[in-house]
Amino acid sequence: MPADLSFEQAPPISVPLRFFLSAPIFGVVAGALLSWWGADVVTSRWLGETLALTHLLVAGFMLQAMTGALFQFLPVAAGCNIARPMLVAATVHPLLAAAALLLPLGLAGGIAIALRVAAALFLFAVAIVVVATGRALLRTPAQGATVLALRLAVGGLAITVLLGTALADGLAGHRSWPLVDLTSIHVAWGLGGWALVLLAGVSYFVVPMFQLTPPYPPRFARWLPLLLLAVLLVWSLQLIVPIPQQLVLICGMALAGAFSATTLWLQQRRRRRIRDPVFWFFRLAMSCLLAAALLAAGVALLPALHDEASVAWILGVLLIPGVFVSAINGMLYKIVPFISWLHLQRLALPGTPVPNVLDLLPGSAMRAQMILHLLAMVLLLMSAVWPSIVTLAGVAFATSSAWLGVNLSRAVWRYVRARGRIGASERGR
Amino acid sequence: MRRVIDGRDLLPPEPLELTLAALDQLTEGDDLLLLLNCRPAPLFGILRRHGYFWDECAQGDGSFEITIRKGIVGEQ
Ligand code: HEM
Repeated sequence: MPADLSFEQAPPISVPLRFFLSAPIFGVVAGALLSWWGADVVTSRWLGETLALTHLLVAGFMLQAMTGALFQFLPVAAGCNIARPMLVAATVHPLLAAAALLLPLGLAGGIAIALRVAAALFLFAVAIVVVATGRALLRTPAQGATVLALRLAVGGLAITVLLGTALADGLAGHRSWPLVDLTSIHVAWGLGGWALVLLAGVSYFVVPMFQLTPPYPPRFARWLPLLLLAVLLVWSLQLIVPIPQQLVLICGMALAGAFSATTLWLQQRRRRRIRDPVFWFFRLAMSCLLAAALLAAGVALLPALHDEASVAWILGVLLIPGVFVSAINGMLYKIVPFISWLHLQRLALPGTPVPNVLDLLPGSAMRAQMILHLLAMVLLLMSAVWPSIVTLAGVAFATSSAWLGVNLSRAVWRYVRARGRIGASERGR
Repeated sequence: MRRVIDGRDLLPPEPLELTLAALDQLTEGDDLLLLLNCRPAPLFGILRRHGYFWDECAQGDGSFEITIRKGIVGEQ
């Protein structure tokens, strides 16, 4: 009988769920603050408020969801697991959450102590994540593009946070870092090396599985993270030597564009006409990625657009809520009911009825929230031209995030109730 | 008797749902053949827990064939 370590090792369900359920809260806070602060944030990417909103999403919403996904995903995709998952999760989750609230506070309010404490908390918590997942990923005998991508993503997270800490330190202590260069390297590792590479690694696995598409072409899947790494390394050299920035940027955007185009093409070739919300969320994410890659490459070629605040806003909206929040939103709708159902199946004796995934999270609830998310995206993009719309966009985004949180919480609540029923019927036998 | 479930064009967790339903009807001596696009790791944990036996066979096209039998008491 073949050994099946993967699921036996799967972490207790509470490990990923705590991250998944907290992520939407950061979206609610970001949306509410966006509408409170209003049109100013559209005018500059360098305002403390803008940076605060960015990090509520990247270091709050995204980091929470992606850490949970990483913990959940390691046993399934890479056949390995972190040591002491309960202890790691119980330590990392509150620290990351606190850091992700303090950092925006420090950025928006210019509060040095908040920046310093946030940086220290991030450093500590992310170090735990990196060591725990890194050890598992280096020890697994599994090969393949997903494992490769996960390894690089974890390395990317480490570099992002190290650079972020240096930046926060620079802002807090007026240290003489080359802030602009450091920021562009930090952004590239954060959105490219960490978030995009992780998204690619997870997509290699879940897009064929949940959308019934053909697999990603194996050579493309392997080379993509390696080439992205090469681009990021060259990009980072700008700290010490002059580099052909435009060219390197265009190479990076070509890779991002190739990934999105490949995913859209695979979706087009799916074997069944699946049109569930997960499919649409992914389609939206990949379309935003393609649009952002084209726009960024265009800007690199047209220096006149470089300093256009509205271009920076559109790029930020396409990449952060457009690509990552959308993809995560869709993934959470797949993972949360799926793992809940799986845990119920494991608990129940044969013949005991277990609610199916759509009982746990009905399609209608997901579709309604998806429409609101789309509306929020449209309003956010329109704010580039009519900044006063941003107030409405913030309300839409906050409401959509809250709705996501409610949908996920209800699924978990139904899971808990079903688990109670199964426990009761088992005791009754 | 052999029952076949072709899960290759079904959306997860449908193949698993069908399999678990079919297991309830499996009697000793019968087997259940599953055709899947990926290795159903979660299924194996459930099978082991409930005392089923299985063979897996990776196909050239990347798909998997899993044959499941009911455990005979004392065999384990
Ligand atoms: C975890 C993933 C992270 C991602 C994806 C990320 C992304 C970004 C982005 C996109 C910007 C630039 C905004 C712009 O160009 O308009 C930025 C700037 C910045 N980030 Fe992060 N960040 C992350 C984590 C962190 C952490 C953990 C810290 C601090 C501990 C941090 C500190 C900063 C600071 C201080 C700036 C502003 C630099 C300046 O104004 O000169 N970041 N980050």
